[in-house]
Amino acid sequence: MSGTRTRRGTVSEQTRTARAAAVAEQLHHECTLLLELYRKKETFAEELTSGGDRLVTVPPLSSQLSPNDMLWRLYSALQQCRNLLEHAIGREEGVGNDRNRTEYESQKKTVRDRLGHLLESTRLLLADGAGTAAFTPDPNNTEIDGPVNGSPFALKLWIYRIFNELEHWTLAASKTLKALHPDGAAPKERRTRGRARGRRTRR
Amino acid sequence: CRQGSAVVSRLAPPQQVRLDADKETQTLSVTWEDGHASTFDVEILRTELMEMVLNETVGVTEDQSTGKHQWNWTSPVPLECTSLSVKVRSRDGQDVSEWSSQQILPGLDLPDNTDSQMYPEGKTVPVGSNMTFCCIVEEGQQFGSLWYKDTLVKENMLSRRTYATTMTNQGPSNPSGTNVVCSNEKKMIIAGAVVFVGYPPLPSDLVCETHDLISVDCQWSKGRDTYLFGMTRQTYYTLNGRNCPKARNSNMRCGLEQWDGNWTLVARNLLGEFRLTDAAELGHRVRPVAPVNLTTPEVYSWNASVGWLWKDKVKSLNGCLSGHQTYTGYGLNTVVLKDLQPDEKYSVKVRCGSQKNFWKWGEWSLPLSFQTKMDRPVAPDIWLWMDSDNLGRVLWKPLTKSESHGQISGYEVILWSPEENSQQTLTLPRSVYSLPINVTDRGSKVTVTARNPAGVSLPANIVIPRYLPDAEDTAISKVAFNGSGFPLSWVAHANASCGYVVDWYNTSCTQDCNVEWIKVAADNTNTMVQSGNFLAGVRYKFSLYACSSESTVLLERWHGYMQELVPSRTVPRLSPNQEGADVQLTWDQIPLEHQRGFILGYTVYLTNASHLTLLANITDPQLTNHTVRNLVLGSYKFTVKAYTAAGEDGGATVSISLEPYTYWLIMEILVALGTMTCLLIVITIAFTGFSFSIFTILWKTMPGTGLICVCFQGTLDVKPSPHSMVHIVEDSVWDSSKEALVTVPEEDEEGTGDEAADTDEPASLRYYNQVVEEGSSSQRRPHASDSSASSTGSMDSGHTDVTYTGIQTSACYRPQMQSASCPEEPQTGPEEHLQPPVGSFGGYQPQCSWKQDSPEADGDGLDQTCLGSPTSVTSSQFLLPYDTSEEGKEYPSSASTWFHNLLTGKP
Repeated sequence: MSGTRTRRGTVSEQTRTARAAAVAEQLHHECTLLLELYRKKETFAEELTSGGDRLVTVPPLSSQLSPNDMLWRLYSALQQCRNLLEHAIGREEGVGNDRNRTEYESQKKTVRDRLGHLLESTRLLLADGAGTAAFTPDPNNTEIDGPVNGSPFALKLWIYRIFNELEHWTLAASKTLKALHPDGAAPKERRTRGRARGRRTRR
Repeated sequence: CRQGSAVVSRLAPPQQVRLDADKETQTLSVTWEDGHASTFDVEILRTELMEMVLNETVGVTEDQSTGKHQWNWTSPVPLECTSLSVKVRSRDGQDVSEWSSQQILPGLDLPDNTDSQMYPEGKTVPVGSNMTFCCIVEEGQQFGSLWYKDTLVKENMLSRRTYATTMTNQGPSNPSGTNVVCSNEKKMIIAGAVVFVGYPPLPSDLVCETHDLISVDCQWSKGRDTYLFGMTRQTYYTLNGRNCPKARNSNMRCGLEQWDGNWTLVARNLLGEFRLTDAAELGHRVRPVAPVNLTTPEVYSWNASVGWLWKDKVKSLNGCLSGHQTYTGYGLNTVVLKDLQPDEKYSVKVRCGSQKNFWKWGEWSLPLSFQTKMDRPVAPDIWLWMDSDNLGRVLWKPLTKSESHGQISGYEVILWSPEENSQQTLTLPRSVYSLPINVTDRGSKVTVTARNPAGVSLPANIVIPRYLPDAEDTAISKVAFNGSGFPLSWVAHANASCGYVVDWYNTSCTQDCNVEWIKVAADNTNTMVQSGNFLAGVRYKFSLYACSSESTVLLERWHGYMQELVPSRTVPRLSPNQEGADVQLTWDQIPLEHQRGFILGYTVYLTNASHLTLLANITDPQLTNHTVRNLVLGSYKFTVKAYTAAGEDGGATVSISLEPYTYWLIMEILVALGTMTCLLIVITIAFTGFSFSIFTILWKTMPGTGLICVCFQGTLDVKPSPHSMVHIVEDSVWDSSKEALVTVPEEDEEGTGDEAADTDEPASLRYYNQVVEEGSSSQRRPHASDSSASSTGSMDSGHTDVTYTGIQTSACYRPQMQSASCPEEPQTGPEEHLQPPVGSFGGYQPQCSWKQDSPEADGDGLDQTCLGSPTSVTSSQFLLPYDTSEEGKEYPSSASTWFHNLLTGKP
């Protein structure tokens, strides 16, 4: 972390926060589009929801948390999102060569790249920077690695749920980062990692 | 449904009934023992709801080896959906045994299997299939709906947790399959299945050939789309039992290392397989590989040889194609390429085919580039353009690449002078395509040659004509562009021994014009003039010359436009001239370079704000004036537009204000009063002084006119002069022929005839009072015995006018014989020439327009004209003179214009 911290944060922090918020907003828009493309590709009815338990497990983002703890949880959620997305990309069989599939594949790649960018931007905002440890999902949650019974529909539904998680957490990231921006309501307060709740794994 | 008999049967019920399910195929296998019959009743129920699924009598024979009976049934509903209860009894006609014990095939909707599920999952079926899907709702949840793709479908309850729907005649799936979705009451997806609906493979057109006389390359068409994708569902091919892993997408080909003569292609997917066969002899299916190592051992200006090598056994084949030429020969490996162009880069490639049992052309070889050698250029196309009688330009066209045969290094021009038996040679660089020459030797010859590194071209000659055609005397006609060029045709000319030449240039060009030409063979009498340099809106002049060995003769001329446009500028020098109530508009013609089309005429508009009212359409383009008549006082704007076939130009506008004559009238009155005052003074002096005897003499020499005519020279600044005099002329007989201003030259009075004496005193006044008495001599007024009497008589007479007439330069005014108040005065004979233009000067009519050749003037021997404003004393009219233009048009004199401008404040 560069720059000297003040009560309101440094100019470079403000800029980084604003930039991360902008990336998150853009990513949320792209995730929404990806979700829509997938829904159309798989002809899922609009009124149906993917259901199931959450695939991303972090303690809830509460307004009682310090900004750093909020960032911490957000960062952990986005990390899990990226892992899920990588799993999904690895397991989804790219079939067909029509225009819908081309557009879908392109959007999927865009989201993956942008998510990496947002993760890096968020990491730089954390108090302890590169040496972070993130929340990891519950190891008993077998849904993380996707269906194992070879059911094509289970795989589709799992991917659908991952894209829904992406949409949810990028929206949360956009809102949180906007709130953390110095122009927003919440002043930045330095908190130590030890105060963060939840299980962490050193990365 | 057959019911069991109440009578005790002799048949034993089936024992050890067993159920085996093949869930993939949805087949239920029922086996039993001890039936001792060949016919059995089978009853299948859904266990939970006890709904009958099947009650059927079937014939089943005992398997002698095992002593068991086996019967298979394919369920339309996946066997996982719900539990089935099966029982069997033996039948012998109407005699039936007791039912066997009921066997249950458990479904996956049992309470210990709590998850939501859907069946069948991941099946691949043909297009048009009917399928039943069932959803087992998670324990504790409520069923919501079933969806096929994104369409809500009607469900059927099979058990407490199981709901099913049947889809008939299914269409092809998306690449990732068709989804069937089950949701709970909260519209949350709880389960689903994918079905892949497609076709079995149907390839066609298997053809196998060899490229190297050893191996086999087979190709086929993919045929109908299977709609099945993915590693497990795509189509796989084998050729003679060997896999074809490269046969993917549209690349349907597979190879074998050895020629078998018979080939079988098997295409297979989950829905079926299809077989294709082909058979052929090796020599009939040869498509040679591409030749290699192309070389050009010999390259010349107009031809070159090309050689190549073969791989392996192919060299024994015949027939090759090189470029667009076909060459044949056994083991062909070199050919000569003919009809090439010098100094040209070529790229050659070769492919071959079997001459015997030709099958197909082989692949092209890699291209080989080479360049032919240079050759001397062709003779330039030359033309002689005469700028004037003795000044001309020798022109020649740049040689194209196909004509130059190499980089042109320059040109040589030889001017022959046969009379002096000499020649002048000029060497010019390659960028020069013309040479100005001073033509003094008519009939001499000009020779032009081109040179490149390979040599000098043949000479191109042209003879300077002995007589220059007079271009202006040759009629010029229009020629229209027809979309591709200007079509010209002419009558054959006997002297066109070496054909015709048509040259053309921009007509507006005046110096160093770009001249183009084409040459036409002698047997042609028409051509199409085409050029990439033609521009829209430019007039081109085309001249046709007959060419002979001695000279060129101008035959015809045309001019035309590739495309006519509206003029690029308006008519120049548009000006209005007021002529009383008329306005004459004049303008000049638009310069040629701005016409941009043939001017067809002009339109004259009256401009009112932005509105144009057409006044005239002048269809004669040579006419450059127009008179707008009978205008009332006011301001006017006139717009004149020239038009071509493309339309009108923007229009030139001019304004004019027809002024009211209030000021003009006041000034006239003032001037008249002043003049009259001066006249009275002069008359008073004259009558009281020295001129009485002269009055008497003139009265006698100008009898019967009854007029008092006074002429004065110069301005109205009247002053007594030694030369001034007043003539009172009276005649007892009215002579209508003299009903005009009578001017009396001073020399007549003095008898000197010295003109110089007049001009020495330009301001002097000469007064001619002419008392006009109408009627016969008997009605004549008595001669005035003195000046006062005469004056009185003159003033008393209603027909007596006193006119001041200045005699100075070229204009003269005759007195108005009849005032406006006396219309009874006859107006015949010469008097008609005096009628002023109608409506001129707002109703005030000038008294006369005197002409030098008028009878009166001639009668009086007057050879000069007068200038000034004659004033009628009685009417107090200030009479403006008219000038006569050379075309008979009348314009206000410069003096009157000046005076009018002075009054109106105009410069």
